[in-house]
Amino acid sequence: MSVIAVATGRGAWARLGAGIRHHKMASFGAGIVILMVLSALLAPWLAPHDPLEQDVLLRLASPSADFPLGNDSFGRDILARILWGGRVSLYVSTLSVLIAIFVGGALGILAGYIGGLFDRVLMAAMDVLLSFPTLVMGLLVVAMMGPTVGNLILAITLTAVAPFARIARAPTLTVKERDFVEAGRALGFSHLRIMVVHILPNVLDDILVMGALWLATAIRTEASLSFIGLGVRPPTASWGGMIREGFENILDAPWLAIFPSIAILVVMFGLNMLGDGLRDTSDPRLRHE
Amino acid sequence: MSEAGELPLAVDGLTTAFRVEGRWYDAIRDVSFSVARNETLALVGESGCGKSITALSIMGLVPKANGRITAGRVLLDGRDLVPLDETEMEKIRGNAISMIFQEPMTSLNPVLPIGFQVAEALRYHTALTGEAARARALALLEHVKVPSAARRFDDYPHQFSGGMRQRVMIAIALACSPQIILADEPTTALDVTIQAQVLALLAELKSETGMAMIFITHNLGVVASIADRVAVMYAGDLIEIAPVEELFEHPMHPYTEALLSSIPRVDRDAGDLKPIAGQVPPITAMPSGCRYADRCPLRVPRCATMPPLVGLAVDPNHQVRCWVRAADESVSA
Amino acid sequence: MLPYIVKRLLVAVPTLLAVLTVVFFFVRIAPGDPAFIILGDQASPQALAAVRHELGLDQPMAVQYVDFMSTVLKGDLGTSLVTHRSVWGEIANVLPYTIELTLSALVIGVVIGLPLGVAAARHRNEALDYAARLFSLAGLSFPAFVSAIMLLLAFAIELHWFPVISEGRPGDPWSRVNALVLPAVNLGLIMVAYVMRVTRSSMLGVLGEDYIRTARSKGVPARVVIWRHALGNAMIPVVTVVGLYLGVLIGNSVLTEIVFNRPGLGKLIVNSLNQRDYTMLEGLMVIYAFFIVIANLLTDLTYGLVDPRVSQR
Repeated sequence: MSVIAVATGRGAWARLGAGIRHHKMASFGAGIVILMVLSALLAPWLAPHDPLEQDVLLRLASPSADFPLGNDSFGRDILARILWGGRVSLYVSTLSVLIAIFVGGALGILAGYIGGLFDRVLMAAMDVLLSFPTLVMGLLVVAMMGPTVGNLILAITLTAVAPFARIARAPTLTVKERDFVEAGRALGFSHLRIMVVHILPNVLDDILVMGALWLATAIRTEASLSFIGLGVRPPTASWGGMIREGFENILDAPWLAIFPSIAILVVMFGLNMLGDGLRDTSDPRLRHE
Repeated sequence: MSEAGELPLAVDGLTTAFRVEGRWYDAIRDVSFSVARNETLALVGESGCGKSITALSIMGLVPKANGRITAGRVLLDGRDLVPLDETEMEKIRGNAISMIFQEPMTSLNPVLPIGFQVAEALRYHTALTGEAARARALALLEHVKVPSAARRFDDYPHQFSGGMRQRVMIAIALACSPQIILADEPTTALDVTIQAQVLALLAELKSETGMAMIFITHNLGVVASIADRVAVMYAGDLIEIAPVEELFEHPMHPYTEALLSSIPRVDRDAGDLKPIAGQVPPITAMPSGCRYADRCPLRVPRCATMPPLVGLAVDPNHQVRCWVRAADESVSA
Repeated sequence: MLPYIVKRLLVAVPTLLAVLTVVFFFVRIAPGDPAFIILGDQASPQALAAVRHELGLDQPMAVQYVDFMSTVLKGDLGTSLVTHRSVWGEIANVLPYTIELTLSALVIGVVIGLPLGVAAARHRNEALDYAARLFSLAGLSFPAFVSAIMLLLAFAIELHWFPVISEGRPGDPWSRVNALVLPAVNLGLIMVAYVMRVTRSSMLGVLGEDYIRTARSKGVPARVVIWRHALGNAMIPVVTVVGLYLGVLIGNSVLTEIVFNRPGLGKLIVNSLNQRDYTMLEGLMVIYAFFIVIANLLTDLTYGLVDPRVSQR
């Protein structure tokens, strides 16, 4: 790896971009994810009905021409609710992963770069954070702080900060010892500049790969919390909440649970394929699979 | 030089191909040589010339996913090893033929004690088990001069230095008293003083046991000190083979000449050093004729076809694969 | 090995203390007054103050903290605000259900996932490998409650092979085992996916190592090369992932217990959250964190067994 390629920020993105294009599974996954993002963004125009509009006559109606995926226990259109639910899911998970990347990444780089006591204390704190099972911590935060979308994002972010801090710290430790960082210091660059310009690009590969996989985890956590009844509040549509309602009516109208389940599965497969593909292309040992 | 019956190992027309992006290319082609008991044959050439692939082909350790032997025979006491299946080869590896690798730091299993790794070689080839295998393994470690071997028997590789690990590797290779030992750059990764110790150890062991040794190296200084005969490889072809003094005194192949004049020597001026112009062609673009032709000052049209390896009229033990030089010699003879 | 064990134990103690501290402050900073929960909205201010006094909530934070730490460290988790029964008693009632569920999932995951991962690596890019990779992708993608609902729908509701409510009848061990099958399979299959995946990629890396070639050059049979030489080394990352996965496993057990209507910590925590039973939640968090710390400790000790470089450092 040449010093120039290492030291420019574009490297990570370009490498991963090229990786996706040359990796069948990754590009298939990326396609699914793009479709999901589009359908979530365009939900207000794509949805044939209002996701909140109730109709007693259509309670638990099976799929029909007008309501292709049927209606839920309030007679609401399931297709519309899936589209709008995807919007909430995407919003919550993307925002929490971005915050976690930013906070966790910064903490990890700082810990690795500064080292010493600071590093030890910070990483010990991360270990404490990791001592709570992800979902249990999410449950507690939302239940205690109140079930708002903001707290949902806070809860999911809290579960993801420690892993990102860890993954950012490891490469920082090795990059810190390399010649171009020494050279930067000798030239009198500020620590901030060294961290942002020289260390960040080397950490970015790992973080982005993990970001795709954690997006899947975040969507799963959000859905799980909503399924338990402590996530997105009804009547707002969310996939987990819809599956919960479907589960309550599973004997009479199994499609209520099945359609949103399929939606989650498609997105999860897409994200995991993308994340796996990215990891393959960024890990030389697994390349050429 | 010797009767066929005395030859523990003869390689005949060995060709091994590798798959690169879906197509098969010959990494070594038509390689033939033999080694006698108590003889050391040095296999020399630049890195990537096919020395290690030759050794792995003899061992049957060419990675199956993208490599295979496409032609030739590997005769061990007259028995061809190439058609043998994996189970049959397992009985031969580490028993009749064993191998020492270049990287002592990574060649030992980090999660198994070194004594166990030595004893393991005995377990599958001899009737020794349990305490007997342990005692024999300990004797081997002492024999290769691992200090306080008894105390360190159950230590792990990370607790040993590179030189000591290479001694352990040698003990493993010697465990079943093989007829042939393949040493693939066994000293390259070591410090110079340790190198000398390990070379001395190998020479000593060879003369004790009378085994044959194929010593792979790119270091001509090492060749001069350890080899009886030398085989020179270039880009997958064996191009010259001769007794060691003969080769150093009268190199025949233009590549061998260039190789010898490219090493610094105290008895020559630095001005005599001649780097070889040009580069080895990539495996995907090898010429079908002489592979050195592109860089060769003696090139003639006939070089577009592959020359045979022929013995010189003056000395049949000196063989060379070159249209021009083989012809010159026959004429002069 | 012994100094290593002692060292890991000593490291676990401060982590556990830090975890308890977090639990204490987390419950205290959350909005809501436990006295309200106990007495309801209509309670008189005097009654509320009396309850607060009884709970020690009128004490300074530092006093409360010392109080909390000393009682918890004595093994006393207090009484439930809602049922007024011992928190530890309530937890102990359902703990065996959660433990048997997670342990069977762990066993299923390792017993199936490990050989499957080894086989996939040995037969890289063959049909078996593709099938195994597809399965692991599915395992990673299925939220535990979705797979649980599907298993329930297929094997309990449609086929009637297993009970819909996975509790089992008291005094009937067979019914308890029968009730365990579906939830354990649900958690176990997801675990298989994780274990298989990390085993496969770790084995692929190890199979290319020099010491594998050395083992083969000794004439060690292929089977032994794979299981002793390769897996011995490939286990190191597998142990890491299994250790990290235990947190996910506990989270998934909550979802599984809800779907299969099975007693356990999961149902207990959801009920306590809905009822805002603070002391019960404190107790549950302590128990969960204790589990994770123990799991990390076991992971570290397993490292010591698997990798001689760790235990002798």
